[in-house]
Amino acid sequence: MSLETCYAALGGDLEGVRGRMLNDERVVKFIGIFAEDPCYGNLRAALDDGNLPEAFRAAHTLKGISRDLGFTPLCEVSSTLADVLRPDDAGVPAGPLEKVPELMDRMEDAYTATMDAIAII
Amino acid sequence: MPAPTDGKRTILIVDDSAMNRALLADMIGSDYDIVEAENGLQGVAAMQKLGTTISLVLLDIVMPEMDGFEVLAVMNQNRWIRDIPVIMVSSETAPSCIERAYEFGVTDFISRPFDANIVRRRVNNTIMLYAKQKALVGMVADQIYEREKANNLMVSILSHIVEFRNGESGLHVLHVATMTELLLNQVVKKTDRYGLTPADISRIAMASSLHDIGKISIPDAVLNKPGRLTDDEFDLMKTHTVIGAGMLADVPVHQDDPLVRTAYEICRWHHERYDGRGYPDGLEGDDIPISAQAVSLADVYDALTSKRVYKDAYPHEQALAMIMNGECGTFNPFLLECLTDIADDIQAQLQLESFSQGSEREIMKIVDDAVSPGSTEASSRTLELLDYERMKYRFFASMSNELQYEYTEDPPMAVLSDWGVRKLGLPEIIQTPYQDPALLRMFGADNMQKLHDALRATTPEDPVVQMEFEALVEDEPRWFQVTAHANWSPDDHVYLGSIGKMVDIHEHHERLMDLERKATHDSLTGLLNHAYARKVIQERMELNPDHTFVFIVLDMDRFKDVNDTYGHLFGDRVLHHLAQRLEGSVRGNDMVARVGGDEFFVCMECSVPPEPLVKRVFDSVTGTYDGLDVSVSMGVACATGEGHSYDELFRSADHALYEMKGAGRGGFAFSDGLLSADEARSVLSAIDAEAAAEPAPADR
Repeated sequence: MSLETCYAALGGDLEGVRGRMLNDERVVKFIGIFAEDPCYGNLRAALDDGNLPEAFRAAHTLKGISRDLGFTPLCEVSSTLADVLRPDDAGVPAGPLEKVPELMDRMEDAYTATMDAIAII
Repeated sequence: MPAPTDGKRTILIVDDSAMNRALLADMIGSDYDIVEAENGLQGVAAMQKLGTTISLVLLDIVMPEMDGFEVLAVMNQNRWIRDIPVIMVSSETAPSCIERAYEFGVTDFISRPFDANIVRRRVNNTIMLYAKQKALVGMVADQIYEREKANNLMVSILSHIVEFRNGESGLHVLHVATMTELLLNQVVKKTDRYGLTPADISRIAMASSLHDIGKISIPDAVLNKPGRLTDDEFDLMKTHTVIGAGMLADVPVHQDDPLVRTAYEICRWHHERYDGRGYPDGLEGDDIPISAQAVSLADVYDALTSKRVYKDAYPHEQALAMIMNGECGTFNPFLLECLTDIADDIQAQLQLESFSQGSEREIMKIVDDAVSPGSTEASSRTLELLDYERMKYRFFASMSNELQYEYTEDPPMAVLSDWGVRKLGLPEIIQTPYQDPALLRMFGADNMQKLHDALRATTPEDPVVQMEFEALVEDEPRWFQVTAHANWSPDDHVYLGSIGKMVDIHEHHERLMDLERKATHDSLTGLLNHAYARKVIQERMELNPDHTFVFIVLDMDRFKDVNDTYGHLFGDRVLHHLAQRLEGSVRGNDMVARVGGDEFFVCMECSVPPEPLVKRVFDSVTGTYDGLDVSVSMGVACATGEGHSYDELFRSADHALYEMKGAGRGGFAFSDGLLSADEARSVLSAIDAEAAAEPAPADR
């Protein structure tokens, strides 16, 4: 079954996803939606524009949906990034912002690996 | 976002990620209708639109435009949170965040990752719980309503039996009940010394109707004796208090019922006096229950102001004075103070009241109090009514050819009606409309500002604003009429927003403009007509008393021959030509009008010697038109604004014209009746000299 191959390739938690989603059709359907989801692109664009609140929201969304689908490595790195970008009450990111470029490198690796693995299905 | 019609319950999902919304909707399944909103603002708009037809809101926290907490704040502010349960869906896991959400009144929290079983179960449970609660509240309300109605009915039958025996009108019990309630409401406004709740007051008012039931056992001869009672008779009369109380104490069941206990107090002690000299028990001061004190005062007032077998009715003011002077017993000074406070109210209320209105109002209040204890918030029943009203409103709005809107100040948001959305191509929801580029472009920044200012300048008593302005619809200017109603908060008069409609009145407006033009212009030549020109010139002369006005009346020489020789159509063309030449020969501010026939006149304000101007006019109209030699005669008169009236000027110029005609036509002549050309010149040079002598004002 290609789902097993896919999750093994990206280091994801297939068992957990199956438990939550109840059936494989739903898993496959939402992996398809994930592949079309604009939030990774939004994250890059927001960082390029220096729009940190928007970047935070995108990282936060990415963290949520990758966790729903059990994409563990992607979820971890987007979670760390969201914490760095999270604005405090005054709207200032928690930082340190120096870590953002390195995190984005890891993010790109994880995202590419995830998308490659999805392509198996 | 169409309102669902298939009987399924509706769930609103507010989340900025399309994938999240899709996932939640998929997990919830097809048992529910799903409405989606991609940020908080859209979520709030959906709630405003759908009201409590929304059974549940699934709410994300981190969102653009308006985040989840801001949505919760709005829901609290509008008290939607009481009737629409909210489940937070978020990958936020910080305890402070979750705690804050619960403080805002959310029902539950679903954390990420979403689990299909958990989502479905939480959603079902929450909806069932709320539905059950709503049904129970409705049932309780119905039961209380029925019970109170029955209670009230029995009480009114009982008290009327007493009254009819008494020969009273039946209004007495009602008046006592109304006044008791007014008095006690005033009491709780001023002090909490007596610990009265709204329910207590309602009960006391109802029980007050029973205050005289003991009279049923007093013999007719005593009860309805026209003259003064003997001592024995009076002693017998006094027993109605103890007898009434005894009847209530003997009621076999319901002894613990608060209504029975209150009625007992009132029956027994409504003839006690604050100084201890009343009957039957000689209680003193606040040993007399406040219920009996209030009824006693109300009883005395109504007895004074009503006609009885032994006396006439006293007027309101006199009755009050008699009570205050202690002529009718001694009362609690504090209660008298309350009576003074509400003196005006009493008179108004007692006149207004009919029995059924009074009891209906009473019952509704009791139901409300019981269903939402200690609060004045809307019950879910009234919310249902609101939903119905909203549906009705939307239906009518979709059929009327006008843009209707609702605007709230906080959050600053306008929701537009379907017609506005369809016809004007505006979005349904507009955030910060006073800064919205599309709106500003369509209606104009000035107009929007004017409306904004006008609405804020209204008062709660007079909240309606009406104005007309031009708007750009598909780049075409069109006239709109806006009628708007400002919403002020009832207590502290804060501006909350407005509702209103904008009606396209363009065609109507065009017709008006056209009529106005027709009323002021000559149809043949397009020049001003005489009546209108006269009015404008009179105004100008009044406004500028020291200006010099030059008046020219002219007509075409031998115009009748032109008509006779070439026909009227040609004659009309000549007149049209003449009008155009006249207009072309004067300055923009000068006025040219057709007096009638071939007679025209020109009025100019003139600060230089007038001959060159007059000559220019003469030269421009003299010449040939289509082979015809055009010759005119002109009469000219000059005057200052204050020197002569319009009619004098016109007559003088007209007179000069006829002199000219007599002198051989084809030229112009100045009137010598008013200012001659020379005189006009000297007036002008005198003005110039004055102006030169004075230091010139900065901006003239």
